[in-house]
Amino acid sequence: MHIQELILRLQRFWADRGCLIGQPYDLEKGAGTMNPLTFFGALGPRPWNVAYVEPSRRPADGRYGENPFRVYKHLQMQVILKPSPARVQDLYIESLEAMGVDLRKHDLRFEEDNWEAPTLGAWGVGWQVMLDGMEISQFTYFQQVGGMDCRPVSAEITYGIERICMFLTGIDNIFDLTWGEVKTDDGVFPVSYRTVRQREEFELSAYSFEHADLDLHWRMFEAFEKEGWRLLKEHGHFLSGYEQALKMSHTFNVLDARGAVSTTERPGIIKRVRDLTCACARAHVEREQAMLEAAKEEGVRA
Amino acid sequence: MSETRSLLLEIHCEEIPARFLAPLALEFSEGVLAFIREQLQVELSAESFYSPRKLAWRIQGLPAAQADQRETQVGPPQRMCVDAEGRPAQTGLKFAEKWGVGFDQVRFEQPAGKKEPCAVVTLVRRGRPTPELLAEALPRLIASLHVPKAMRWGSSEFQFVRPIRNLLCLFGADVVPFVLDGVPTGATTWGHRLYHMDRPGPVAVPSPEAYEKTLEAAGVVVSCAERRLRLEQQITALAGAAGGTVVRDEHLLDTLAEIVEYPTIILGAFPESFLTLPKEVLVTSLAEHQKAFCVEDGAGALLPAFLTAANRPDDPEGFLKSGNEWVLRARLYDARFFFDEDRKQPLLERLEKLKHLTFQRELGSYFDKTQRIAALAGAMAGSLGLDGGDARLVAQACKCDLVTLMVGEFPELQGIMGGEYLKRENAHENVWTAVKEHYQPLSADGPIPGSSLGGVLAIADKLDTVAGCFAIGQIPTGSKDPLALRRAGQGVIRILFERGWNLNPMAISAQALEGVGAKATRPAQETLEALEAFFRDRVGHQLEQAGYPGPVRRSALAAGWTDLVDLKARCEALSAFADDPRFQSLAQSAKRIGNILKDEPDQGGLDSAQLREPEERALAVHLARLEAVADQDQLLKDLAELAGPLEAFFSAVMVKCEEPALRAARLALLRRLQGAFLRVADFSLWQ
Repeated sequence: MHIQELILRLQRFWADRGCLIGQPYDLEKGAGTMNPLTFFGALGPRPWNVAYVEPSRRPADGRYGENPFRVYKHLQMQVILKPSPARVQDLYIESLEAMGVDLRKHDLRFEEDNWEAPTLGAWGVGWQVMLDGMEISQFTYFQQVGGMDCRPVSAEITYGIERICMFLTGIDNIFDLTWGEVKTDDGVFPVSYRTVRQREEFELSAYSFEHADLDLHWRMFEAFEKEGWRLLKEHGHFLSGYEQALKMSHTFNVLDARGAVSTTERPGIIKRVRDLTCACARAHVEREQAMLEAAKEEGVRA
Repeated sequence: MSETRSLLLEIHCEEIPARFLAPLALEFSEGVLAFIREQLQVELSAESFYSPRKLAWRIQGLPAAQADQRETQVGPPQRMCVDAEGRPAQTGLKFAEKWGVGFDQVRFEQPAGKKEPCAVVTLVRRGRPTPELLAEALPRLIASLHVPKAMRWGSSEFQFVRPIRNLLCLFGADVVPFVLDGVPTGATTWGHRLYHMDRPGPVAVPSPEAYEKTLEAAGVVVSCAERRLRLEQQITALAGAAGGTVVRDEHLLDTLAEIVEYPTIILGAFPESFLTLPKEVLVTSLAEHQKAFCVEDGAGALLPAFLTAANRPDDPEGFLKSGNEWVLRARLYDARFFFDEDRKQPLLERLEKLKHLTFQRELGSYFDKTQRIAALAGAMAGSLGLDGGDARLVAQACKCDLVTLMVGEFPELQGIMGGEYLKRENAHENVWTAVKEHYQPLSADGPIPGSSLGGVLAIADKLDTVAGCFAIGQIPTGSKDPLALRRAGQGVIRILFERGWNLNPMAISAQALEGVGAKATRPAQETLEALEAFFRDRVGHQLEQAGYPGPVRRSALAAGWTDLVDLKARCEALSAFADDPRFQSLAQSAKRIGNILKDEPDQGGLDSAQLREPEERALAVHLARLEAVADQDQLLKDLAELAGPLEAFFSAVMVKCEEPALRAARLALLRRLQGAFLRVADFSLWQ
């Protein structure tokens, strides 16, 4: 199983079950949940099924491309189903079969793991899904996003692509995975994860642990915050405002990886990001409601 | 009693967190049994079953219906209900109609309190069928369960611990019909996911009695106790097969029994090279990350093997073993990375970093705390004749592991890692052991530090926390003790008590408080008073834990508690007299003495010459002997013998007599006696 084959199978599977196939959002972020397709999609009454791959950056997990299990950036396959269907666990299990896991031969367990994203004002309850003792997915019923109750509730499924691929192939080193195959007139060339990503891991780890300019990052954090509130307050633009909050979040993660944020400062910094994301969420919900009411009135008049 | 039947209810959910299973099972049992008691007037018991996807209860011996209720209605007098010829009159007919009976069912009797015979009907209110009552009550009882982290799902507002996907509810062989959040009850349920891969339909449960058997055939062992037992048997057998015994962890075994529906133990191996990691790291990493047990040999050394649970009966192609081994390798690789990284820098060099790690906002950083512990531990070591330099050194080192990668990953390894790193830096055994042990005791019955230096460090650390938090107003009240100060305080007392160290808890508290200095936000005197009450309670609790009887504890504690060595000796000596009836009498007399002296000013010395009655002169002789005794056991023996003379004294002598000199002498005698008692105990609290 190759990385790209795994992604394609999962996308095909969820597209066939009535999901939009989204794309990664082109900003640095720590998890697929931060993609507006999820953050805003999980709010409000509109039915919303979407699946996409999200490259997720965790500066503190950087290991210079030397650790066989941990990386600065990994791929998450994210699925949002709103409202959560009654058969959601069965659907998930079918997706494992679509990846080529024969569950007759494996041990599958759903173990409690509640999820919380303080910068997004979001939390939910759910499980880490364990296959033969390895966590292969996170499964969450969103209860709140952007500080607001989710009505209806979305189910979020997150697959760790590299982990699952390693597990399915029995490969012990992430960099030994095969990304895919390149076919040219001269033949077929398998391309490894190492070829595609290892140098990037090295440079990004070095950046977050050594080269990042901390003063600059503190200034950027302030500037993004100011810009975000300006966009939201002066223009009512919650999407571009939210982008600034995402930049704040990543900037904070870089500072945090360097140990530049003390334990006492931490909650305050997180709150500053959360305040902005939650304000954006509220603006989005207000707009949705206004649109729904307008549509209703239109219906009455017609 | 007529024929009875059993009730079976099963709530089939998506996977319920293990920690909620037992409390929910218990709460529902209590609720449903109370309902049955009230409505059906029977006292029954419930069997509860639970697995990751199931909460179920079976109650045997339910009557088929409520008992019929008979009630009598009294109407108008007979003379108004029938005419002269005995035919029904208008009033009589109306009465019968009112209660829905024919006139022929109306009797004429003279009820108590009436002057003449009246119309009477006896109505039988039919008891309602039990299933009907249950169908109304069960959904209400389920919905009102207290779920600590309740969730919503789909588009419904209904809340429960996890989404409900099926309801099985039988009364005998019949379904009890109700609907909960859109899910109707039925006579079927779902077995293990593996079982249903080839059998897409649900499983029919023919009767409540057939529940366990039916589910076992469908791959689910519904009794958690049964699963635990099977796991334990396999663990013992497989650890033996691996050439050792399991490193026991009852909590982990409980968890494993709760998270599988079909219990099987997998024996796996990890590369021997990881055995260079400290044992604690391996045990913790395996338990925390992989819910796995370690296996050790006869000497307590770990073997490169582990045991973990699977949720299916077999491992047909070895994927479970290889999968768990794969994950464990990744985990241990990480642990070794932390271990190697951490050791690149000597532990003590991290002291500076502690300046950035907050202990308590008002009390400063862990660096500040370290300096306070060092001063306190140094002073304590001095009083105990230990090396003050060693004490200060271990204090500087003891919190450094908080900023290591390993403790960042496994907070429960705090202390242990510090000790392990120091050991590998060739620190003196005294030193690394003290650091390793200084969080002990971790629980009420966990071990206290084995070394003296460890004991000193443990006390200094805990006392700094307690005194510091009290000084900033963080004092535990009622059930609120978020900083676990009671546990810390108990640890201090337990170490002092069990080690037999002659250190006054209040004296070292005062020292600790001095260390906190200007960081305190409350007046020192107030804090000391609060600490005194706090530690007195801790000492009382310690005496209770040590098993001293109530009268011994109460009376000994009231006679002074800050000298713990003396207190312990007094309790030991008093315990021999716990059931001695003479002490009961002594207690009475002590109370009496207390009452007599309550409002009397101390008039000074005893003039024995004034005493004239034989009973009081005898008492004076006893007193002289008591006051001369130095040995505690002898003192108690003498006290016991004093019971008789005291009784005699009180029955023969009136203390507060008219003659001032005699009265003064008697009062002085009693005051001296009271003083002699208080050398061991306040006997007025003996009962």
